Amino acid sequence: MSEPPASPEPPPVAHLEFKAALLLALLVLLLAGSVLYVMYARGVFEPTQRLVLVADDSEGVAVGMDMTFSGFPIGRVRRIELAQDGAARILIDVPRKDARWLRESSVFTLTRSLVGSIAIRAYSGVLGDPPLPDGAERRVLVGDATAEIPQLVAATRDLVRNLTALSNADSALTAALGNVHAASERLKGRHGALGLLLGNDEDARKLVAALDRTNALLARVDGLAARVDGVVAKADAQVFGPDGVMPETRAAIVQLNGTLADARNTLRQADRLLAEAQAVASNAKVASADLGALRAEVESSLRKAEQLIDGINRRWPFARDTELKLR
Amino acid sequence: MAARRVGDNSYHPGMAPMLSRPGAPADTGRIVLRWFTGWWRIVHLGAQLMVLALSPSSYSPANRAAMARHIVVDTAPTLAWFTLLSSLISLVVIRIVVVTAASYGLSQYALQMVVRVLVLELIPLTAALFVALRISLPDGRELARMRLRGELDALLRRGIDPLRHEVLPRVIAGAFAVLMLAAVAGVVTLVLAYLSVHGFTLGGLERYTRTVGQVFSPAVTLIFTLKTFLLALAVSLIPVASALYDLPRGRARTSAELQALVRLFLVMLLIEAASLVGNYY
Repeated sequence: MSEPPASPEPPPVAHLEFKAALLLALLVLLLAGSVLYVMYARGVFEPTQRLVLVADDSEGVAVGMDMTFSGFPIGRVRRIELAQDGAARILIDVPRKDARWLRESSVFTLTRSLVGSIAIRAYSGVLGDPPLPDGAERRVLVGDATAEIPQLVAATRDLVRNLTALSNADSALTAALGNVHAASERLKGRHGALGLLLGNDEDARKLVAALDRTNALLARVDGLAARVDGVVAKADAQVFGPDGVMPETRAAIVQLNGTLADARNTLRQADRLLAEAQAVASNAKVASADLGALRAEVESSLRKAEQLIDGINRRWPFARDTELKLR
Repeated sequence: MAARRVGDNSYHPGMAPMLSRPGAPADTGRIVLRWFTGWWRIVHLGAQLMVLALSPSSYSPANRAAMARHIVVDTAPTLAWFTLLSSLISLVVIRIVVVTAASYGLSQYALQMVVRVLVLELIPLTAALFVALRISLPDGRELARMRLRGELDALLRRGIDPLRHEVLPRVIAGAFAVLMLAAVAGVVTLVLAYLSVHGFTLGGLERYTRTVGQVFSPAVTLIFTLKTFLLALAVSLIPVASALYDLPRGRARTSAELQALVRLFLVMLLIEAASLVGNYY
């Protein structure tokens, strides 16, 4: 049995071993680099601190999802477990360098949107508060857009029910609309708005008659006013005309003015008389003052004379008549 | 571990020959048996090759040279082409995903979707297909020709184990090529995705890294790695195994190569389906 012809040897490759080693090294480098990058991307090399969020419901929360602060991811969900009291505990790893954003007073929310995944957010109102310690446990506030939907649906259903009740054939709104329709029919009727206001045609007719009579009355009042006008014109002529009351009154007033001037003169004379009388009176007053002094002197002289007589009488006992007659 | 010689001019490593008679009346039981036997041979060969690959005695200088030659000749020319093509397709897909997501107001999910669709799903599959069509199937054809010419038997007669010297280097080179193409294209796609979304700046790197970290959770990473390795194994093994075992069937409607391709697609489909189930259920 002869050897089969061997297939032709492929052409030799230059630097074969080196190229093969290069390719192997490239693959190893790529794989190692990828593994390291993914580990770095998953935060394996970062020192972290633990934060525990307690929620009633952890539905939608997934391991690996972010917790954001002002839109920046600052933590990752590491585990979700069920506590003894039935609450969900969401364990979050926060890198130490991002932990400074979390304070004692920080608030954590869990919001579900209609589209997209659930989001865990942190809010720190006061950045001056003491930092959140490692392993802190906080209650998470749940803001759920979808949770509003049942309430919204219930409210909408109520609204629809009310609307249905309103639009029923026997509803108040329909009756009111019927009345409005009747009223508008009345408006379009013979008596128009009057008929609508007064309710029946009889009263409307009366009102129209009253209006007619008022119109006639007004016409008569008009005539009366014309006559009053004439009277007023006559009175005007009598009062203000050339022979009217007013010119005469003016003349009387002029006369009165003259009389008053006379009276003023008379009064002035009387005034002068009075001044003179006053002067006389003042003279009399001075005279009466002198008279007083004289009288006082007379009285003192008399007293002295009396004392003298009394003295004589004592010395002259026969004198019986002690009375001194002053004449 | 040595291959057994079973008959003249018909090298069958480690497996009894199959009593298949082409053109015999169709017997359902025989067909099913043949189907199972065919798969069993592939699995068995795969196990043999893995043991060989892990044993240091396979890396003698001669074998090492053969491996290096296959690795360089197979991978180097393919790498540049595949990287170029995958970059183009990635750019188009990234653009489509980003623009569509932005138009729905969901641009924050665009990057995640790009990384998931391209790096996790499309690129390993494309790399495996590319390697299968450009490297593994030609290798299998070459082996089949060598087997038909009796070269493998001649090697065996000379005291050289064909499994070690001819089959193992081709299988290792095929698997290496799949891993290499997938790794390079994956990294290039990650860079392209970053550039498409953020442009030529380093400002978005932190957020981008975070997004990538969110996508590559431990379970997803494990499934991704397993999937890529299994695809590499399937792509490098099945065409070679088909070439070694399947008899040329003159009157059959499908050639042995096509049959190998069908088998390969079936396995790739199964791997892909399993990975999808693992990732998303």
